[in-house]
Amino acid sequence: MAEPLLTLRDLKATFTVPGYGVVRAVDGVSLEVAAGEIVGLVGESGCGKSTIGRCITGQVVPSAGEVVLDGMKLGRRRSPQQRRAAQMVFQDPASSLNPRMSVRAVLAELLRVHRLVPRDQVERRCRELMGLVGMPDQALDGHPHQFSGGQRQRIAIARALAVEPRLLIADEPVSALDVSVQATILQLFDDLRQRLGLAVLLISHNLAVVRYLSDKVAVMYLGSIAELAQRDALFADPRAPYTRVLLEAAPRLGQIGKTPDPGLKGDPPSAVNLPSGCRFHTRCPRAEERCSVEEPALLPVHDGPPPAGGEVHLAACHFRAGHPGAPGQTG
Amino acid sequence: MTIPALKVEGLTVEIARGRESFRAVDDVSYALEPARSIGIVGESGCGKSISLRAIMGLLPDAARVVAGAVAVHGTGLSLEGKGAARQRRGHLAMIFQDPGTALNPVQKVGEQIAETPRLVLGETRGRARERALELLRHVGIADPERRYDSYPYELSGGTRQRVMIAIALASQPKVLLCDEPTTALDVTIQAQILRLLVDLREEMGLSVVFVTHELALVGQLCEDVCVMYASRLVETGPTPAVLERPLHPYTLGLLRSAVDLDEELEAPKPIPGSLPDPARRPSGCPFHPRCFLATPECASTTVTLTGLGDGRASACLHVERLLTEDGRALQEAAAKAAVKPQDPAGTAGGDGRG
Repeated sequence: MAEPLLTLRDLKATFTVPGYGVVRAVDGVSLEVAAGEIVGLVGESGCGKSTIGRCITGQVVPSAGEVVLDGMKLGRRRSPQQRRAAQMVFQDPASSLNPRMSVRAVLAELLRVHRLVPRDQVERRCRELMGLVGMPDQALDGHPHQFSGGQRQRIAIARALAVEPRLLIADEPVSALDVSVQATILQLFDDLRQRLGLAVLLISHNLAVVRYLSDKVAVMYLGSIAELAQRDALFADPRAPYTRVLLEAAPRLGQIGKTPDPGLKGDPPSAVNLPSGCRFHTRCPRAEERCSVEEPALLPVHDGPPPAGGEVHLAACHFRAGHPGAPGQTG
Repeated sequence: MTIPALKVEGLTVEIARGRESFRAVDDVSYALEPARSIGIVGESGCGKSISLRAIMGLLPDAARVVAGAVAVHGTGLSLEGKGAARQRRGHLAMIFQDPGTALNPVQKVGEQIAETPRLVLGETRGRARERALELLRHVGIADPERRYDSYPYELSGGTRQRVMIAIALASQPKVLLCDEPTTALDVTIQAQILRLLVDLREEMGLSVVFVTHELALVGQLCEDVCVMYASRLVETGPTPAVLERPLHPYTLGLLRSAVDLDEELEAPKPIPGSLPDPARRPSGCPFHPRCFLATPECASTTVTLTGLGDGRASACLHVERLLTEDGRALQEAAAKAAVKPQDPAGTAGGDGRG
């Protein structure tokens, strides 16, 4: 296999909160994203998924581990080229765009500062970027408040694309949008991947969104990956109990009249005092004594070599090989 | 016929914005049977939250009820005036999307719950405390004795929402109004809160109005559903029937634009265009600029919710086409025919196509 576009090696990010302790937001995450691949990162609030995105863009300095993007090891100080390689799209485009700048001013500033096109080509490139995100040229004259939420998110994506990144990090890109326009933004990511060969790290709490768009999915719990697999394998045959619980709790249109099963009692433990052993054992419906002592590693769920053409399916659970008596998600 | 737990008739709310005013809620009517739930679904700005606040007597200063009546178990409630909210005690209670801002940050949560029995029901301090502990237990909070003395910041989002529900229940209401109570919560916590609402309905005969933007949640909690678009109800009916075969193009569009875990992995079908500014609603049917069934008459004819039997109603001029033909096929054919409608910057409605 070719060298992946992005490699995270045992990434850790900790924050010291005075009088509280050390929050282990990201606690040893390894992940690869290939060029043109969309990888979904799912988990509940506080699981560290956004912090991973911020470590890649350099907004958060990792306390340990490596971020390798496009062959470059990204450290604390980054060259303009390194900074351009990964770009972020945020949840709320209303607060991530400067309200005083026209769309043209936002894009032109980037193109000039990074000297990406000759001066006389700036206008042409701005129009090209608008076309790429499905907006008319006239939109360049508008200010953010004149656009709807979906249109603003398109502008935010155009801004990210202006510096020609290899990787787009989309942090909850549709969570703030109305349902009727979410789909258009999801389709835009798919379209950009096909046209530009762009890789996307899709960070979301919404399993349906991740399932629709991703090639590969990582499920996170309390700072580490609980399960990592190709999309279809993960949704058809989830092996980590936490993944199952998430899938059970998600609202579905096909289950009219059936109240979702919480599956879990209580709230996630604090990331300051991680539970001993498996970090999920305090809430796990399947936990046994061993789970509170021994931390499971992220290992293949199938013995032997990975299936032809398929990638390995990994889960961090002592019982990843299959739960006696536990039915699969679908037939 | 039984007397409905909550009856809303012709509710119309106007909001003043600068010199102009617009209808944020326009002629909304529904009835909720005792111990049942009704879901009100719509996107941001459709008027769903404002309609709840109007029922609760909690409208912001710029808004006022210009028409309509609200009755709880046959008792009419006044919709304006200072006493409006007070009059609802024992009838109605409301919980909000963000329990973090709805709770008093500098008062112990137990005291916030005990306030109602003490001041409203005239209980002694000791009895009120007992009652608060009972309520904390009732909403599924472990170790109520300890939690009584907690401040809101010490609690997680899910626990805060449980505290909100306990406060709401303290006045012994018959109807609970829920304004997106789980939107700010994680899915596993959301499932816990939904389960609690179902249990309360069964144990206490509580009726629930559940406002949300997510159709899937309504399907899991509510027997009946009202779909709202641009200040009006566009479709109402029993939830399974509405989700199975929507009889308004907007409901169909909403269903098909959502990505769902149970759907085949086909591309979601977004609704073209964007939501209209509530102050500049398109003429005629407000959905016509985005509708796949729209004809020139839709722009000029005022449509009202019309009964279709089996408890269903739709506000669509072309509802007979949805009754006789396959709505999905119609939508797809229209999407193919359209030459990719582009909505230029910031213009809502009236782009003169035809």
